[in-house]
Amino acid sequence: MPALANPSAAEASLWAIILFPLAGALINGLIGKHLGRANATLVALGAMVGSLVIAGVAFSWVAQGYTLHYGGAPWIAVAGADGRAIVSVTWGLFVDRLSGTLLLVVTGVGTLIHVYSASYMSHEDDAGYARFFTYLNLFVAAMLTLVLGDSLVLTFVGWEGVGLCSYLLIGFWFTDPQKAYAGRKAFVVNRIGDFGFLIGVFSLLAIFGTPSYAEMGAAARALVPDAVIATGVFAGWTFQGAVTFAMLCLFVGATGKSAQLPLYIWLPDAMAGPTPVSALIHAATMVTAGVYLVARNSMLYSLAPAAMATVTLVGALTALFAAVIAFAQTDIKKVLAYSTVSQLGFMFIGVGCGAWWAGVLHLVTHAFFKACLFLGAGSVMHGMGDETDIRKMGGLAKKMPHTHWTFLLSTISATGILPLAGYWSKDAILGNALFSHNPAWHEVGPIAYVIGTLAALGTAFYMTRLYWLTFRGAPRTHAAEHAHESSPVMTVPLMVLAVLATVGLVLGLPEGFGPLSEVYQRFVEPAFAAGTERLHEVGHLHAGPHPAWPFFAAWVIAALGTLVGWLMYGGAWKALPEKLAHGWPNAYGLLADKFRIDELYGALVVEPLKAAAMGLWRVVDVTLIDGTVNGVAKVAGGVASVVRLAQNGDVQRYAAVMAVAAAAILWTVLGVGGQ
Amino acid sequence: MNLLSVVTFVPLAGAVLLALIPRDEARQHRALALVVTLVTLALSLGLWLGFDASPAAPEFQFEEKYPWMSSIGIGYHVGLDGVALLLVMLTTVLMPVVVLSTWRAVEDRVKEFMIALLVLETAMIGTFAALDLILFYVFWELILIPMYLLIGIWGSQNRLYATVKFFVYTFAASVLMLLAILFLFFHDGGTFDYVQARAALQVTPEQGKWLFLAFALAFAVKVPMFPLHTWLPDAHTEAPTAGSVILAGVLLKMGTFGFFRYAMPLFPEAALTLRPWIAGLATVGIVYGALMCFVQTDMKRLVAYSSVSHLGFVMLGLAALSAEGLTGSVYQMLNHGVSTGALFLLVGMLYERRHTRLVSEYGGLAQQVPWIATAFVVVTLSSIGLPGTNGFVGEFLILSGTFLSRLAGSTTFATVGSVGVILGAVYMLVLVERVFFGALKKEENKRLADLSVREGFVLAPMIALIVVMGLVPGPFLAPARPAVNRLVQRFQQTEARLNLPTQVGTVETAVAARPPTPLEGAN
Repeated sequence: MPALANPSAAEASLWAIILFPLAGALINGLIGKHLGRANATLVALGAMVGSLVIAGVAFSWVAQGYTLHYGGAPWIAVAGADGRAIVSVTWGLFVDRLSGTLLLVVTGVGTLIHVYSASYMSHEDDAGYARFFTYLNLFVAAMLTLVLGDSLVLTFVGWEGVGLCSYLLIGFWFTDPQKAYAGRKAFVVNRIGDFGFLIGVFSLLAIFGTPSYAEMGAAARALVPDAVIATGVFAGWTFQGAVTFAMLCLFVGATGKSAQLPLYIWLPDAMAGPTPVSALIHAATMVTAGVYLVARNSMLYSLAPAAMATVTLVGALTALFAAVIAFAQTDIKKVLAYSTVSQLGFMFIGVGCGAWWAGVLHLVTHAFFKACLFLGAGSVMHGMGDETDIRKMGGLAKKMPHTHWTFLLSTISATGILPLAGYWSKDAILGNALFSHNPAWHEVGPIAYVIGTLAALGTAFYMTRLYWLTFRGAPRTHAAEHAHESSPVMTVPLMVLAVLATVGLVLGLPEGFGPLSEVYQRFVEPAFAAGTERLHEVGHLHAGPHPAWPFFAAWVIAALGTLVGWLMYGGAWKALPEKLAHGWPNAYGLLADKFRIDELYGALVVEPLKAAAMGLWRVVDVTLIDGTVNGVAKVAGGVASVVRLAQNGDVQRYAAVMAVAAAAILWTVLGVGGQ
Repeated sequence: MNLLSVVTFVPLAGAVLLALIPRDEARQHRALALVVTLVTLALSLGLWLGFDASPAAPEFQFEEKYPWMSSIGIGYHVGLDGVALLLVMLTTVLMPVVVLSTWRAVEDRVKEFMIALLVLETAMIGTFAALDLILFYVFWELILIPMYLLIGIWGSQNRLYATVKFFVYTFAASVLMLLAILFLFFHDGGTFDYVQARAALQVTPEQGKWLFLAFALAFAVKVPMFPLHTWLPDAHTEAPTAGSVILAGVLLKMGTFGFFRYAMPLFPEAALTLRPWIAGLATVGIVYGALMCFVQTDMKRLVAYSSVSHLGFVMLGLAALSAEGLTGSVYQMLNHGVSTGALFLLVGMLYERRHTRLVSEYGGLAQQVPWIATAFVVVTLSSIGLPGTNGFVGEFLILSGTFLSRLAGSTTFATVGSVGVILGAVYMLVLVERVFFGALKKEENKRLADLSVREGFVLAPMIALIVVMGLVPGPFLAPARPAVNRLVQRFQQTEARLNLPTQVGTVETAVAARPPTPLEGAN
């Protein structure tokens, strides 16, 4: 494309990356039903390809060392009489190597999933088919806005936009009340996170007077963390304290969107949506937005070690917690959902301990292998007549060979077994955590390492269990015996993703691999340079190379988990799961019920809120206020019936009353109020 | 007669014309009413295009002034600042939509109905345009009569209770305002002219406080602010669709406009003292109104309570007294008119089809009426302030403007207000879910017709405004700017005069990462 042959032309065309899928959504949304399936597919897919191509061009410039910035027209712009424009947001887009990476993931994986969906959603009627691609295109547009926005506010636009699309897609089959409910639950829980995001934005506006990443970053570099703020909302706080507060608020937003403790509860329910949606939104892209948010604000987080410690710890706890829940899930998509929650936890450990690049690298590799796993699960469901219970599967390896080998490769990658992509990125995270020294809490890194390693052990176990129950052994039901492989439209994207999940290992190679060593770290580090520099200054990051033993430890852990998983579900300990479930029925029940956190929230938050609303309405509105109003009306009526006695037609008495009244009014107006 | 006066009285002239058409020509009444409102809209576009939003332009434009009862200082004085302009535009845009929406809904006494609507339009525009206190009061009270009739005659079962409650609530509060206006006459050099009175007013702080309260009470009832809101759910529920749309769309803004134009600039000192209370009640209203929505079973009642919540945002932004907060308030007034107006239109369409407002009578409608469902979802998104819709611009400006204001406790107010954003998503999405999602079970709902072409024309402008105002707010923010800055400056002058510590305007940020832009800049 000659028009994009220089960086400024690429900058000017950045909006096209977003507008392509947006236009696709508009076309399919308005007339897609009448276009026919082939045309609707063409529109949606064409939009994706167009977006992908321009994204590729933008990425190539970024890879050459440029950063692209398109200023954009003003959007919300308010300035006071003194000319200060604090809340002033433009439609500005920005690509550096961080957003460039996500740009490729979103458009690339997005395109593959659009292809897959063309077959997967073929059972829908024309209207449903067009509606699906409308939402999917719209989602991509929103996600790209999130990634490309040059200010927190524009990121927030995408942030809420993907939440909307998630809501619409989870509830895609809205005639099922449970699916509709799952969609709403996702939106509302995300809104709780967005509340934190908003307060974070307001705080940053109060600190920096701008929502622009570039302007905040530049100002943050010049800050002295211990200096006390003299004016404004945070007067009396240190800069470090104020920034820490803001970063914690943003992280609340991240826990919502990226399904971390305590707001992860919506993601497992989100599996009610069509499986390609689970792959694209609830594994590869949207749920990683929180990780992106932390990485994007690396400079600010580097000023807020307590916030980084929180990110690290929450990530570690979530990683383990979700992995444990995944042990006892029997729904193929639910296992993958908890796995996603857990893997997102790993990413937060990475960005929390200052290994921004490792967190983002895991985001990328996870996008490949988890999208592949979800799409594989979809393929299995297709082949099994929409069955999702892994206890009713078994032996699918022979029936669905392509689905099988892609799933296997992705499982190995997710498990973290040498040498596939997931191993390198996960190990980079854990190794960096172990050797980090958070100034606010020195031990948080090593603690995260221990918890994360346990979570990795769990990951290897539940992934092996999942794989074995689904694909190996003998078919356990009629449906499993007669399962069929999906069409190439579905399996080709699987293969591409499996290959990516494999060759993605190149990105994460450590030192010692010649020109390939630390290739992604070196690529993306410029985006984090300022933050990393600050972390080095305060001794947060480990200087020099790490010892090699964590690499081996990680491998042993993964192998161990796999071994146990195989023994319990494929090998000699086959009777053990049954025995455990019967031996500790309460513990097993608690695990199968996901620790009953939903029920806990219901009892602690939802029901009290409902009761409060009902109580307030009955007591305050109906009894107190309306009771008073109606009471006054009654009294007035009573007074009137007394006063009516005065209206007896006696003109002289009227005149007397008028005279007195006139005197009273004059006295009131001129006397009491007068000079 | 200048353009503003023409725009004000064209609907009244239309009403007179309507009165001359024989009673049984319902089609002609409808058509004429539509034409009159469209002509008014077209004329008002002249106001929109002719308004000069630069800081150097006069405060009130399209000004016209005639002596009326000069011996007692009453004159016909009208003019628009940017905020009044926006609200006049809101009125003239909504009215044709309202008329069109009643095409099938009103079959009884069409002539009187249309006359009432047109009189109402003149009264609403007049309220925003008036620059004379008595003129303002006349228009303000004139609104009550057609509105009283709209609810009392064309309302539903419980309409008499509702309409009397509406009338008494608002009238009782307005009488105090009248007394306050009369009082002003004796303390501003003997005039009812707003501009002169504002400049010349001399009252003691104690008097100012009571006067402010008298005005504020009238306005707070109209807004309505917690705890003076209980007339609203009844009035909305019983009013015909057209009445609800006008009530939510325009009438409530007369209250917030009253604060912006009269109560606050006339008595800045009292406003400074009392604004923590306003902010507090506004914040309570945001959360309280939202909680009330949780337990409503009647759709119109639910939307009415959501208005209490939304108008709480507007009042919070006003109390913040920062450029951002005030601008957001003005914007939110427009937003609420558009999105809540649209919600009432949609509920009205469902009501016309099923003759019930009970949420439980619906369910699964998205299958049967996909276009109505789509429109409802879009309007819902606007109502819950999703970015990309108008609602976000208003809420974001109000909440950030409050957070960044110098009002004591501003961060608490903004934080609690932000909780309203979560709650708003809950009750609106629950409503969508119960009405449109799930299985289509009820037999009666299986025969519902989707959006007709006429209804499409009713909703299209609303949805267009939701999107345009969400993506390109600039043209709608610009007119508000001079008025907002003048109000902030007026308060700053008061502070300086009284030697008060700085408590108005936007805070100094800890770091000034962005240099101030010249005044003609971004806006």
